[in-house]
Amino acid sequence: MKILRQIGIFMGICWISVIVEQLLPFAFPAAVIGMILLFFCLLLGIIRLEHIREKSDFLLGNMSFFFLPAGISMINYLDILSANLIPILVICAVSTVLTFAATAYTIQFAIAFMNRRKNHA
Amino acid sequence: MRDLTTAIFSSPFFGITLSIVTFFIGVKIQAKCKTPICNPLLIAIVLSIGVLLLLDIPYESYNEGGYIINLFLAPATACLAVSIYSRLGILKQYWFPILLGCAAGSAASMGSIYLMCRLFGLDEALTYSLIPKSVTTPIAVSVASAHGGMAPVTIVAVLITGILGSILAPVLIKVFRIKDPVAAGLGIGACSHAVGTSKALELGEIQGAMSGLAIGVCGIITVLFSLLL
Repeated sequence: MKILRQIGIFMGICWISVIVEQLLPFAFPAAVIGMILLFFCLLLGIIRLEHIREKSDFLLGNMSFFFLPAGISMINYLDILSANLIPILVICAVSTVLTFAATAYTIQFAIAFMNRRKNHA
Repeated sequence: MRDLTTAIFSSPFFGITLSIVTFFIGVKIQAKCKTPICNPLLIAIVLSIGVLLLLDIPYESYNEGGYIINLFLAPATACLAVSIYSRLGILKQYWFPILLGCAAGSAASMGSIYLMCRLFGLDEALTYSLIPKSVTTPIAVSVASAHGGMAPVTIVAVLITGILGSILAPVLIKVFRIKDPVAAGLGIGACSHAVGTSKALELGEIQGAMSGLAIGVCGIITVLFSLLL
């Protein structure tokens, strides 16, 4: 019964987020709406962590498994992938390095800035 | 005979069993090899596609079961809220650098991918499949699909990025001389999501927690940026 209730909470949140997605005037993914919804439910204490612990451990712990069917549908796109393999690899490699550098430098700068302000105050 | 095999492989139980068995093999192989290249999802995709091609089973038959597994993606994405919520303490302490850094990282990622796609002359569908590829799969796939990208291409790109990021992470920290563990962790999470986070956890507790936090924050920021596309 405990697990059933947890499944019920998740299904309910996902269902509400589909409704919200339909009502929004712009394209915002339902899955992310569900994430924001759950976050605020936790923050406001409407849902407590122990209400969803087992189910969320199951979902987070097996996250990559749930992508398997979508990954396998690659079978229908093998020609596109193999035709563009080199650009895709180059794009992945270059953007990974740039993203890391942009994030890490900005944060180091921001933390230094915060510390300097703290020292002046 | 043909009818019999169709009946056997069109059952939803076939797709689900094949998925769990190949994923289980992937997990076992990674436990043995311990390198990011032996990613369980990557191994399971290759094995499953191999089985389907070898036995000449149409994707539609597999998807009778695959569709059911796919349903779990929405609740699994919502679950990312739990991992942000359980790190609320550090989020409050460093909210300013975290927001600024993740925004800079997401902008650098999406911007550089867009420019390189133009440079290589890739078409619209392929470009939108690649633009969100630095964030975690559920969010990347939703963003790509909303703009007419191809979900499977996005998944492959997300996987390649995650694996590259977790291999390169220690090198990048040295080359760019990132001394602050908070900055290092967020950088890893921003460029290589969950796969990178497992590497960040090996580097230290702060790096791991920060990397996990960056998954959710960069994900939301990328969705917000994609609204401008």
